[in-house]
Parts: sequence; C-alpha cells; structure tokens
Amino acid sequence: MSRPVHPVTLEVVRNALYAIAEEMSVILMRSARSPLLKEAGDLSSALTDAGGRLIAQGRDIPIHLGVMAFTVKELLKRVPAERLQEGDVWYLNLPEVGGNHLPDVKAIRPVFAGGRLLAFAINLAHWADIGGAVPGSYVPWATECYQEGVRISPVRLFSAAGPDREKLDFLLSNIRGRDEREGDVFAQYAANDVAARRLGELVSRYGADTLEACFDALHAASEAQMRAALRALPDGVWEGEDWLDDDGVDARPLRVSVRVLIKGDEATFDFTNTAPQARGPVNTTSFIACSAVYYAMKALVAPEVPPNDGCYRPLHVVVRRGSLLDADPDRPVVGGNHETSQRVVDAIFKALAEALPERVTASGPTTSGVLIFGARAPADGRWTILYEVHGGGEGANAARDGASAIRVHMSNVMNTPTEVIEAEYPFRIEEHSLRPGSAGDGTHRGGLGFRRAYRVLAPEVTLTSMLDRRVVPPWGVAGGQDALPFRITINPGPHARDFGSKATTTLRQGDLVLIETCGGGGWGPPARRTAEAREQDRREGYV
Amino acid sequence: MCLDAGLLASVAHGTTVVTNAIVEGRGARVGLITTRGFRDVLEIGRQSRLHLYDSRLPAKPEPLVPRRLRLEVTERVGPDGSILIPLDVNELAAIVKTFEQEGVESVAVCLLHGYANPTHERALKAALARHFAHVSVSSDINAEFREYERTSTTALNAAVMPLANRYVGELVDALGRRASGAALHLLHSAGGMMSVEAARARPLAMAASGPAAGVAAATYVALRLGLGRALAFDMGGTTTDVCLITDGVAETAAQRRLAGYPVRLPMVAVESIGAGGGSIAHVDVANALKVGPRSAGAVPGPACYGIGGTEPTVTDANLVLGYLNPERVYGGSIHLERARAVTVIESLGRRLGLSLVEMAQGVVEVANANMLRALRLVSVQRGYDLRDFALIAYGGAGPIHAGALARQAGIARVVVPVHSGAFSALGCLVSPLRYDAVQTWRARLDAWDAKPVEDRFRELEERCLAPLLDEGIAVERVALERSCDLRYTGQNYELAVAWGDDAGALRAAFEARHRQLYGYATGESVECVNLRVVARVMDTALELPTFEPAESRAGSGVQRAWFAEMGEIELRRHPRAALAPGRPVVGPALIEDEWSTTLVYPGQRCAADRFGHLVIETGV
Repeated sequence: MSRPVHPVTLEVVRNALYAIAEEMSVILMRSARSPLLKEAGDLSSALTDAGGRLIAQGRDIPIHLGVMAFTVKELLKRVPAERLQEGDVWYLNLPEVGGNHLPDVKAIRPVFAGGRLLAFAINLAHWADIGGAVPGSYVPWATECYQEGVRISPVRLFSAAGPDREKLDFLLSNIRGRDEREGDVFAQYAANDVAARRLGELVSRYGADTLEACFDALHAASEAQMRAALRALPDGVWEGEDWLDDDGVDARPLRVSVRVLIKGDEATFDFTNTAPQARGPVNTTSFIACSAVYYAMKALVAPEVPPNDGCYRPLHVVVRRGSLLDADPDRPVVGGNHETSQRVVDAIFKALAEALPERVTASGPTTSGVLIFGARAPADGRWTILYEVHGGGEGANAARDGASAIRVHMSNVMNTPTEVIEAEYPFRIEEHSLRPGSAGDGTHRGGLGFRRAYRVLAPEVTLTSMLDRRVVPPWGVAGGQDALPFRITINPGPHARDFGSKATTTLRQGDLVLIETCGGGGWGPPARRTAEAREQDRREGYV
Repeated sequence: MCLDAGLLASVAHGTTVVTNAIVEGRGARVGLITTRGFRDVLEIGRQSRLHLYDSRLPAKPEPLVPRRLRLEVTERVGPDGSILIPLDVNELAAIVKTFEQEGVESVAVCLLHGYANPTHERALKAALARHFAHVSVSSDINAEFREYERTSTTALNAAVMPLANRYVGELVDALGRRASGAALHLLHSAGGMMSVEAARARPLAMAASGPAAGVAAATYVALRLGLGRALAFDMGGTTTDVCLITDGVAETAAQRRLAGYPVRLPMVAVESIGAGGGSIAHVDVANALKVGPRSAGAVPGPACYGIGGTEPTVTDANLVLGYLNPERVYGGSIHLERARAVTVIESLGRRLGLSLVEMAQGVVEVANANMLRALRLVSVQRGYDLRDFALIAYGGAGPIHAGALARQAGIARVVVPVHSGAFSALGCLVSPLRYDAVQTWRARLDAWDAKPVEDRFRELEERCLAPLLDEGIAVERVALERSCDLRYTGQNYELAVAWGDDAGALRAAFEARHRQLYGYATGESVECVNLRVVARVMDTALELPTFEPAESRAGSGVQRAWFAEMGEIELRRHPRAALAPGRPVVGPALIEDEWSTTLVYPGQRCAADRFGHLVIETGV
C-alpha cells in the first residue's frame, strides 16, 4: 500500500464518502420516475477511485455488488481516461461492459481535482422499459439480445455545457414512455452531480493526495477483514448444484454447479460444470456470477465487511466461456440477472451447508417472481406498465423459522400496494393473502408464500412472466423438507389455464390472474419440531 | 407533581408511556377486521427484509396482530370511493364472538380504500362500539392510501389505546381532585399539544413525544431569538438527535418506523445517530479509529466516572483535553477522575502510535465527523445549506461539541439555551395546541377542479378546529395551514407544498421545491395525492423571566486544556450564573451551570442575552 493515512483522517473521510453514496441513492430514489426505482428502490450508487475500483456503496442491493465493482473498470477499457472531461456524465447498459441486463442503466461521472482524475460517481437504475419486443422489455421468448431492447454503448449524454439533446432524443425515441424515462435520465444525472460537488468539498479540505491514500487504505481494510473471515473457515473443497426450471425457449432444466475451494485466506468458486449458454433469456455475464459469489460470502461469513474492491480481492471466480454464466454477447440475458444469479447463490449455499451448518438457510423464493402487465390507453396509445415482483417464504435456518412473504438473497425489492395498483393501473386485486401449507416442514419450518389475484379491467392487457422455482421446488436443508413451488393460474375454476414461468399472453377484460408464490424450505428433521410450534402453526392457520 | 389547586389555569403533560409500550411490546390484545381477501396484509407488509445479509436476525417484525385474530368482512370500496360490494354487517356477530372468546381488548378496522369512502368503516365502528370499549378505524386514524402502512398505524393505535386511556384517565382524576378547572393538555409527536379527548382517540400520536418535547423547546427558542433557520442539536450519552427548524416551525415527517412498524402520523423529523458522550472509541481490524455505535451508557459509564467503565469514551477524551471540569460533581454524584480517562485513552493511543493528547483529539474529531453526517442528513439532503443555520445545542454533551461542529460546518452561531437541563419540561409549556389532518385526494393539476378540493379542505379544517372551539378558543387565534402532497405523475415520493391560490401557483411551487431538492425540474404533468391541514393556536403566552446575573463568581477558575491550534493553555472557567448579558467572553473559555458545560473555542465569542441564553459567534 502507499502512504500511511492518519487514522483519524481516514475515519472522517470514510464517513464523508459513505454519506455521499447514501445521498446519491436518496436523490435518485426520490426523483426517479420508473415505478421500480421510486417504490421499490431497484437502484444502487457508488464511488470508485480513478481506476474504477469500488470505494463506497450507498444502499447496497446485493445483485449490484459485483456489477458496480466492474462497470467503471470496463468503461475505461472502451473510453480511455484522456477522453473524459469535467462535467461529463456517461450512460451505458451493455451487459459486456460491466453490466447485467439492458433495463439496468448506469450513469457515470468522472470527478476531477485540479485537472487530475480523482474518482468516479456511478449509479445504476432499473428503467421500467428499455424498448424491445414487449412492454417492460422482458421478452421470455427472446433468442438474441437485440430483441431485448436498445443497447446503449457508452455515450456522453451530459457535458459541462448541459444535456446533449440530440443523443438524448435518439435514445428516448427507442423506448416506451419517453417522458418517464427522461425523468430517470435526469434523476441519475442529479445524483452524480451531488456526488461531484461533495467530493469537491472533500478535496478542498484534505487535498487529492490524502483522499487517494484514504481510498487505498479503505481497500486494504476490507481486504484484511475478508481474509480474516476466510481464514476462520476450514480449508477444503465443497460441491453444490441447483437447477433452473427452463430458459423460456427450451423446456428443460439447466444446471448451475459450483466447486468451492477454500484455502488459507482465499477462496475460489469454479463454475466450469455449469450448463452451456441457453437459447432463452437466462444467460448472464461473469459480473453477475461475481455478484452472487460476493453476496453469498458476505451473508455466510462476513456480513459486516464494507463492500469495496478490497474485500473482493481474495475471492476468485472461474466461469467457462460459452456457458450460462459467461454467454456470448448476442445471447439474451434479461432474466439471468435475477433468476440465474439467485441459482448461483443456491448452489453455493448448498455446497457450504455441511461446512457452515449454523449459517446456511434452506432455499426459498430465489427468483424475482416478475409479472409485467402492459396496457395501452385507447385515447393516445400511451403505455402503462405495471412491473411487479413477488416474494415468497424464506428458507428456515438453525436459528428460526423462515419469514413469510419476503424477498431473499440477491434482491430486496418491495411490492406495490393494492391501493396504488387499483388507482393507477386497470386492475382490481381480489386477494392478497398467505398461502397456507406452502412451507417446507422441518425442526424449523420455512416461511409461507402468498396468493395475489389480479382482475383485468381494461379491454386488453399483455402479461409477461419472468420467474423461476415453478418446477424445481425450494429445497430444505439438514433434513428439512422442500416447499411448494410457484403456480400461476389464469381464470381459476373449470376453465383454468396454467401459465408458464417465462411466457407472454394477451388477457381480456374480466380475466383473473392468480399467482401463488413458493414457500421456504425447512431446516432439520420435522420429527424434532416442538409440539408448541406445531400447535401454533395449526392455531394460526399456517399449515 | 405538587399542585396548588386554584392557581393553575392549565396543565401541560408529556409522557413516554406510549413509546415504552411499543418498544417493549406491551400493547393490548388487538383484533383486526379487514376487507375479505386481505387479512394477511399486515403480515405480508411490503415483502422486504430488515437485514440484507445476516439471516440469523429476524427478517420482519412479528405481526402486530396474530393471524387468528385477523378476520375478514365481505365488502369492497374502489379507489374512487365507489361502493363495489356493500358491507354485510351480519357477518360481524361471528367476528365479535371470536374476539370475545379470545379476550380481545381493542379492535382495529382497516378496509381497502377506506380513506376514499369511510362509510363501511363507520358502520363497523358503530356496531363494534356496543361490544368493545376501544375501537380504532383507519379513516379516523390516518385517511391516507397504501394499505399496509395504514393498517399498521391503525393496529398500533389500537394496541396502545387501553393502556393510554387508563393512564390519561388516572391523570384526569388526579388533576380533578387537586386542581379542578385546570385544562389538561398532552404533548403529541408533532411538537404540539392536544386535548384529553384527542389523546384518548388517537393515543399513537403521543408515540414520539419524548424527542418532540426537546424540539418544541428549541423551536420556541428559535422563534424568540428570531432565528429563521435552526438545527436542534441534542447530544446525550448514547445518541444525538438532530431536527430542522425553519421559520419557527420544526420539520415533521409524515411516516416513521417504531420498533420496526410503520407509523404514519406527523412526528418531529428527528434524525438520531448512535454517537454521544458515552460512545466507545476502538480500533478496528483495519487499524482505523471508530467511535460508537457501542456506548458505555450511564452504567458502566465512561472510564472517568469510576463506576466500572474500562473502555475509552468521548467523555474521557473531553476530560483529557480539559473540556470538562475535573473538580465538579456531575448529576449529583459523579466525580470525574482524570487519571482513569488518561489510562484508557493512552492505551488506545499506543495501538495507533499516537500521544495521549493526539489520541483524545482524534476521538473527539471522529465523534464530530459522525455528528456532522447527521447534520448534513437533515439539512443538505432537504436542499438547504448548513451555513444558513444556527445550532441550538442541549443535552449533556451538546454544548461541548457544538462550537467545533459549527466551525466545521460553516455555521456562524450557536445557542445554548437557558434551562437546557429541564428542556423537555419547557417544551411542554411552550408547545401550541395543534391538530393535524390528512386526506388522500388524487387529481392531476392539469385537470384541476377547485370546488371539490375546497370542500375537502373545509372539512379537514372543521375537523381540526372542532376540539379547539370546544375548549372555547376564539377562531381568530387559530392559524390554519393547508398543504398538498404533490409529485410528477408516476413519481412515488411526494413533496409537501403549501397551498396556493390555484393549480398554476401549486405547480410553480412544486417545481421550485423539486429544483431545490434535486437540482432539476422537468415541466411534466404534476399530480396531487394528499391534502393536509394543520391548525395551530398562535399565541404562546409564556415569557421566560429576564436573567439576573449573580454577584458571586463562585466556581470560576482555570484548568489546563489543549486545542489543536494553540497547544496546551490555561483555560478560564466562568460560572454561567455570573455572566452579565451583553458582556462577551472570548474563547477559549469554559462556561458552567448546574446542568451543562459550554465550551467556547479559540476565536469564538460568547455572550448571554437578557434571558440567559448563551449565544456563541463562531467567527466563520
């Protein structure tokens, strides 16, 4: 490492950097337009050093951990630092440039101190539409990336002179709901603008040299903490695998397999035996595989380590080119971001269940549970898009039963209230309730999934699903039982139609869509569940 | 409480009984009635988990009402208030029976879109009143959309209602025996007082009255000193609370979490951080110095208290630096032992290769950095510039740190109010009677129909005015403020904007506020989602007595102290009681009273005003 930093200065600067990243997230969330950002907070913001190495992250959404760690580094390979200027904000969404899928648009602003490149402010926001074949840009039948929306290679949308209207218009002309999207572009700009100003204040107080020394020290600190956590684990090799239901195009399960090697203070995650790349949209980039690895290790061994470039240094990820986890750039990826990434976590947890019996939870709703409803106003043809995520029952662990109706692992996106849906979208919600009996039994049982029923009030609505765990159920651990998987039914009753997990259809006025979400797997043998716990389950109607 | 009957015109009371009941989970057994198909909304919540990484911790708080006590009725109201399925009151008999068998004490009712049309909720309330002493319905408690938050607020109100009613009842009885005729008022979370009847119906409004009391006192001080923008800065042993005061009004938040549960009633917008005098300094694995969030609290306390504490705290660092008086007795019994503080700070310094004084200064600086982050949170993130504010410092440690923080934040003036040790009591005395009301009202400004909005505002105003008129307060004395929650169509965070004469004025005010907060405005369509009214009784009769300086200078003296810019110096101690108004003390200096120690840093000047408030000019 470079120059030593005064421990007091380091702590004061660290505080200030986190305050900046947090402030970015607040500004982005409050001023953005896409429903996912505003209600659900599907966004991240971070600061990196001049080399693109992550320093501090605001609200950290696990799925973005790895992505944010790579985006600026990859950008610098395409756009050399000499081309960057004070006041620039670059936008991009290409998966191969430190990305994940097209709806997650990144905005990056270089920050200078006296003409020298000091840092980057970066934020990522999930836009409700990025163009492509269907409203909401989740195309379950896509077989190439070009069907999934507009691919934004790094483009400078703002300079010190202000927005570049021509480029902005070009981009927005390819996307549904351009007013809303323009609001998102500006929200992302505003968040980075604040970060640049705050960093400027820090520079004037401490000077660029001291700040750079602090960045290095923060990396060193997280690296030391992660190494200490890994050293505390037994050395060894563990293997685990889990399966995706299908890829939306070919109806067969896809294997995600990991071999975890822990040796001293380093760990390697080898995914070589994972399925080949898929025709349908469940492929991922290696950055997503890294996100999942970083999340799993934070959750299992080091929840308190601040995520930055340093804490990732002892973790090595091996993926095979042309496999599900490092697909060719023209492959579709939209669902891989939150389906395949969750399955990577499942495989790692399964692998380490024996080594870390007190920490591993059973599987649960390791899927985004996405349903997208698109309705078009008859008057002006404007699209209204409801993008809704559905959680389920959390897996149980050694400490407790799983929680009901919740998001797990890579995402923590909230639901949209019934009263908001009914006021703003052409639906009536007829039920939103727990799904008794959906949990896996065990010494500790899993949490319950839930039921939500959408009645269509508009003449015509498109429905797209992009989820998983509809066929392969959430597994129990340490003798606990599996839970019930997802089920989607259109018009329950004598004319019921079972609806797929990666499918699209047109609904008519009066149709009813019932989604029943998966429960969580159990932990430990059911025979050891206490009589009191069983009595309570019965009394509350959980079973 | 010692009351001289006959002399009292009114009694102001603040209580933490509701807060404690919530935090300790001691609420009553509640039964909840919902629309058919939605009894689990309370348990489903927003489906997000509390802890992202550590699955050993609970992912959600326990549901406020267990599932077997959440029952459904057949009925349905649409988002526009239309009745889609009429209420079937006959179903209530079975529900009442179940509740009675289960020993339910208090009933909550929250029906979908109950805010848009309360007919069904009111019918249930009337029917339930025949069976239960305590009934809370959502359209009374919080007539705002988003069903989980409204259900949580209503159920929590129901949970504290029996207990709060007993408490208030006992208070009324005691008062009636000893001071009949005196009007009793209770402090609520928004920093105002309310009647006994209002407190009985909506006891949850008292949930944050603890922090509200201090903020109310700070607001009074800000108003009296003509401070347009002020920050209440309350630094205690374990936490520091900060709240923004603009033009004599403390900022309120429309929603907060208490013990993990959303509560959607107006509360003073206090940001609380885990840094105080008792915060423990330590070196982490990466050799960085951290202060807090762990605190030594009052027991075992800082090492210098000599009552068992062995870890270095902010108070120990302050003592080492000479910012506290080692010869004084604090809180009646605590003697500060400098030697103990030196031992723990030195030992910490050895780990980082720092001298005793460097280490103590480091601890104070890091603690200040933590607090600066909280100050920023309440000001900059709301679009204000910290430099425009005055700091009103109270709490045990506030007046020691305020001067240093102000200098770092570019704040020109610090006020250490008189009676800062009894600040909460002062807050109760000076808080105006205040009632709040909210009603969800969805309408786009570009299709604005003024008439129904005016009608709704009138209704809300009448609701707020009624308890005031009941007490015989003349309507001229009441300030009625209307505001709207506005957002760009499709946005999800609303901005509160003061009511304008027409849609054009509202729109302009919204865009100005949006630009102030987020740096841009787009000219898109704007929609209203909520209407709000606040009724406040304007005059506050209380005048603080004029301050008379004491003749005696007992307590003055000198002690050694260290400041970064001066090194070691002789620091003068002044008894606060002897400071004549208008005669400035030039820093560095220590000013002491029985409740607190105020530190005037080098380059700063401090003078008492005619009420005895200390005003420090920081010279920035």
